[in-house]
Amino acid sequence: MNDFEKLRSVILRQISSRLFSVRMAIMLPILILFIPGMAWGFSDPDVMLPGGVIPSSATEVMFYTSLGIVFGATMCAVLLSFDGVSKDRASGVLEIKLSQPMPRSHQSMALVIGHWFAILIPIWILWSLSFVIVNYRMGDWPSIVDGLTSFISVALILLWYVLFSLIASSHAKEQGTSIAFGVGIWFLFTFLWALVTTMVAFASGVSIGEENDAKWINLEGVLDLFSPNGVFHHLLETRLNDVERGVSPIITWFVALIWSILPWYWFNSRMKTIQP
Amino acid sequence: MSEVVLEMTDAAFRHFISSPSLTKPLGKKQGSGIFSVNLKIRKGQILGLVGPNGAGKTTLMRILAGIFPIQKGQIMYRDSELDDFSPISDFGLRSVVGHMPEQVRWQGKVSVKRTLEDIAEMRGVSYRVDGILMMVGLSEMKDSPLDQLSQGMRQRLTLATALLGSPKILLLDEPFNGLDPVAIRAFEKLLHKLTEKGVSIIISSHRVAGMVHLVDRLALIHRGQLLIEGTLKDIENEYELDNRIEIQGTGKIPDFKSILTDSASLLDTQTSEDGWLAVIRNQDRNLLKNLIESNAEINTWKTKDTDIVEMLCSATGQNLDEIGFEVISSTMIPYKSRGEEE
Repeated sequence: MNDFEKLRSVILRQISSRLFSVRMAIMLPILILFIPGMAWGFSDPDVMLPGGVIPSSATEVMFYTSLGIVFGATMCAVLLSFDGVSKDRASGVLEIKLSQPMPRSHQSMALVIGHWFAILIPIWILWSLSFVIVNYRMGDWPSIVDGLTSFISVALILLWYVLFSLIASSHAKEQGTSIAFGVGIWFLFTFLWALVTTMVAFASGVSIGEENDAKWINLEGVLDLFSPNGVFHHLLETRLNDVERGVSPIITWFVALIWSILPWYWFNSRMKTIQP
Repeated sequence: MSEVVLEMTDAAFRHFISSPSLTKPLGKKQGSGIFSVNLKIRKGQILGLVGPNGAGKTTLMRILAGIFPIQKGQIMYRDSELDDFSPISDFGLRSVVGHMPEQVRWQGKVSVKRTLEDIAEMRGVSYRVDGILMMVGLSEMKDSPLDQLSQGMRQRLTLATALLGSPKILLLDEPFNGLDPVAIRAFEKLLHKLTEKGVSIIISSHRVAGMVHLVDRLALIHRGQLLIEGTLKDIENEYELDNRIEIQGTGKIPDFKSILTDSASLLDTQTSEDGWLAVIRNQDRNLLKNLIESNAEINTWKTKDTDIVEMLCSATGQNLDEIGFEVISSTMIPYKSRGEEE
């Protein structure tokens, strides 16, 4: 068995152990409520969103449905992977794994891909189901490029949260610290980032919350690049016609790449020096 | 003497510990570890690793398991198939060494077999899992969840992970913890079978009484230094613990100074209401005759058994009568030499 076959085999085992875990069974109803549930709600012909917004296309509905990803799926990604390393470390199993003839980089890759796909597979299924629901309710499909962009964006945001959790898990001495860090990061980017944006705007002398002020929109757009949730929405917005927040699609995709590479590199480096 | 399969030369590894300062809040400095260890592991032999708590046994085991890369020195390995004795990396060590860490707390709803397969996949040997489960006596429990395993069964599962991939060297850290007496005997038999197949075994254990009959060689480690390594006989000789006779009698204790020859030495005498006890080293065959002629009343006469605790105390400079529980205190365990300056 060569290194690639070993890696593939370990990844598949990692995916199946997480995918069919009790934790996933508990989280699945929440995910169903958040993702297809939101798609059902936002595709209602009589829906009126705050500010008088009425979603007019399937792509737009799926954009609003992405709130289910931001609030539900990312939290599930954290909950699924917060003990990816710390549990094995606390029980002594990590010492056995580290003494196996498998490069540390492969072990870390198996952990990342294993946890990522374990959350990605059900989310992609639910995301696809949401497309079907939207079509059923509105009779409209997003274009192939729109659909592809949304699938890739969903995969990327889940990868980022899995990476944050695994990094926390590899640094934490026990699982309490690990989950506190994971949930803390989720809370920062999901709820507190608006506060950070407001504070920066205030410090810069930009009118806060003025939807018609280009300075505010541009500042918010730029600051969103420093948040995974913001980058996720930037990625989805690249397929919306009437959204202009001063960040080009090329910059958005480049930042998404940075958000993927840097934490992965950090986690890989951490696993190379980790002690049981 | 068996051929050397692995040799550590001046190997050193020190843990980094947090040392924050105003200018470097995340600063670290070198802490405890092992220093200038020279150790040879021989084919098909069992080496016992003994030392007080915190001596560096587990660190040494982790270096040999390829988990900690050495910071100084060299590790050489003899590949019997290629007949090549050359330096080996930590990754290379992981390929030839099976490691059984101390007290792994297997837990969860996953089955025993599935757990072992997960580890076996990392070695690419998942097809051998059933045979190994049978070898460690867990084949009946293979479908049981980990949560249902007793401490002894968990030890067996940890041993099973170490046996995956037919390792040439087996590292066992406190392997007897939680095993019942019958399982310990079966375990020892298994180890001897493995040595017959040419597997070299290193056991770190605090169960020193049982090690005497199990190990071929012994290494005493203290404060990160390997104090001595050799056969039990060699170490007894080194610390003058060999050829000792323990005599017990009643009545008045004989005047040993006048009875003993020049080569002999009186190591210890004790008197109580019940009688007396004397420990003598290197006495010739005339001692019994001389004692009888001096009208000594002798009840028992026996050769003093090998005692690893005595060896450890001699090696570390501890006084067996004064040792306490506070093993960390430097006053309780004076070290002889460090080998390098701190």
